[in-house]
Amino acid sequence: MLKIDHLTKRYGRFTALDGLNLEIADRQLHGFVGPNGAGKTTTMRILATLLSPTEGTAFVDGVNVVKNGAEARKRVGYMPDFFGVYDNLKCREYLDFYARCCRIGAKERAQMADRLLDLVQLSDKRDDYVESLSRGMKQRLCLARSLIHDPKLLILDEPASGMDPRARAEMKNILKTLREMGKTVLISSHILPELSEMCDSLTILDHGCLVFSGSVEALAEKMNGNAPLEVRLSETGGENALEAAVTCLKELPDVKEILQAEPFLLQIRLAEGSEPAEILRNLVVRGVPVCDFHRAPMNLEKVFMEVTQDDA
Amino acid sequence: MMLNPILSFSATRRMRTFRTLLIAGAYAGVLLVIALAMMGGFFGSQASLSAMSGGMDCYAVMMAAQFVLLVLIAPAMTSGAIAGERERQTLELLLVTQTGSFRIVLGKAMESFALLALLIVCGLPPVCLCLLMGGISFVQVLLGEAFLLSVAFGAVCVGIFCSALSRGTMMSTVLSYLMLLGIGALTALPFLLGYPQRITDVVYDAAAYADLTAAGALAMISPLLLLNPAYGFTALIQGQTMVLGTGLEYRSWGRVLCTWLVMERAGCEKVALLSAGAIVLAGLVLLVPAALLVRPRDRKIKQKG
Repeated sequence: MLKIDHLTKRYGRFTALDGLNLEIADRQLHGFVGPNGAGKTTTMRILATLLSPTEGTAFVDGVNVVKNGAEARKRVGYMPDFFGVYDNLKCREYLDFYARCCRIGAKERAQMADRLLDLVQLSDKRDDYVESLSRGMKQRLCLARSLIHDPKLLILDEPASGMDPRARAEMKNILKTLREMGKTVLISSHILPELSEMCDSLTILDHGCLVFSGSVEALAEKMNGNAPLEVRLSETGGENALEAAVTCLKELPDVKEILQAEPFLLQIRLAEGSEPAEILRNLVVRGVPVCDFHRAPMNLEKVFMEVTQDDA
Repeated sequence: MMLNPILSFSATRRMRTFRTLLIAGAYAGVLLVIALAMMGGFFGSQASLSAMSGGMDCYAVMMAAQFVLLVLIAPAMTSGAIAGERERQTLELLLVTQTGSFRIVLGKAMESFALLALLIVCGLPPVCLCLLMGGISFVQVLLGEAFLLSVAFGAVCVGIFCSALSRGTMMSTVLSYLMLLGIGALTALPFLLGYPQRITDVVYDAAAYADLTAAGALAMISPLLLLNPAYGFTALIQGQTMVLGTGLEYRSWGRVLCTWLVMERAGCEKVALLSAGAIVLAGLVLLVPAALLVRPRDRKIKQKG
């Protein structure tokens, strides 16, 4: 559905996007993750034909967005991270206006507006003025607007930003429905755990460069190698057990860092290529009462912090 | 063919505000006050010729008032057309639809023009009061209003161009007034800089002036001067009412004499018509760069991510 080929955007000497290559298959919910200034919005704006790349190109459903913007716009629905709503306008009129801008016929417009208001759970607000809606409702109305011409690819730039947990949950449900409807969705967010729950695949950008692209599982697997080891000690051993464990670990050359996460839980980082089983064997031989030994589970937030730690 | 959605949508929104009603009411009110003030002195007059002259004077003054009001109102009405969309962050939402940037600009221009046309229509009844005094016909009034429509369109196009150029409404408003002033000054250059020898030779030679044809006189008028709304307006009022006097009265004024005699020989109403056409055409041309400015494909945006 989406193919990005060596996409680069420079503003003078500043490179916002540096040779991004990416492919997203049909019917995927793809997360776009990165810190501020990573190039997410730039990429999305190029795909929405609002910005020209300095180099490279992108194809949406086989249409070149750089050379054939008008055709690409028929296939792309874009929802920026701001509301962009008018005063003195009812929800139904708002959708009707954008439907007319998309050259949709009168009969189809009325049906489409009702259907979309239903989809974003705003049917009861169809005759309410847009300015009277809550933030979450406005976001959902904007989502409905971006769907008005039935695009194949939906680009959502931080759709859940500033929403309360209930509104976020509602937005999440709508996105799941969209995936079931067969839409390909490219979604950027800073709310990383939510993305990991929702998305089929992820792309992590940092300083305009691709850091990772693949499934959520592949990312977790990749990062698990770097995850710290967690050693839980038996509480019956008391303070002596803790001291013995720390002494033992300090003597081992492969242990780079020891952190006491909880009273009887140690987190240790190992040097690259070291064998965790060897650490466990040493602890057991020295009589340290280990009751649990495993890699710390990595969620997307931890992964994000790991891969973008230079920015911290 | 579907009506331009920007036009119908913006017009609907504008008509829902109390401000529009207020502006239209104030516009008609100002003209009514002028009409009544002008007419007051003439009612009860025994001399019908004096009343007729008063009717033409009243018409000329009211048209001049409309001309000034429209030039003053147009930038204020149009400056937010594109810049306001930028401020509301709705422009990008329009640009990702299947409506092209020229269609957006045209829709915005037509919507602003429709409002000014509404004002002109609201001003028609007070202007028609002049008909009671004679000296002017309803057709002439309609022709005068048509000329004002062309001026309004030109001013709207300038406003839309400035709006497309600016990031904010305030900047756009200031720029529009400055640009209208600049255009007024630039197009008056042929008048301010004097006339070529070939024109003065004809104007100051009674025999040569007598032989001058209307087409020949028209060819002497600089196309730049035709773009000056004040020049076209002067030609219109002179052609319809003659209230501004004849060339003979300006014999000692030099430059004004040239303008006057050439305009009179070419046919004042014809000059006004050409001027109106030139203004509308220039306005349409100005919408093209405005459309190019609307799509900021390479403009740096505030980088968030």
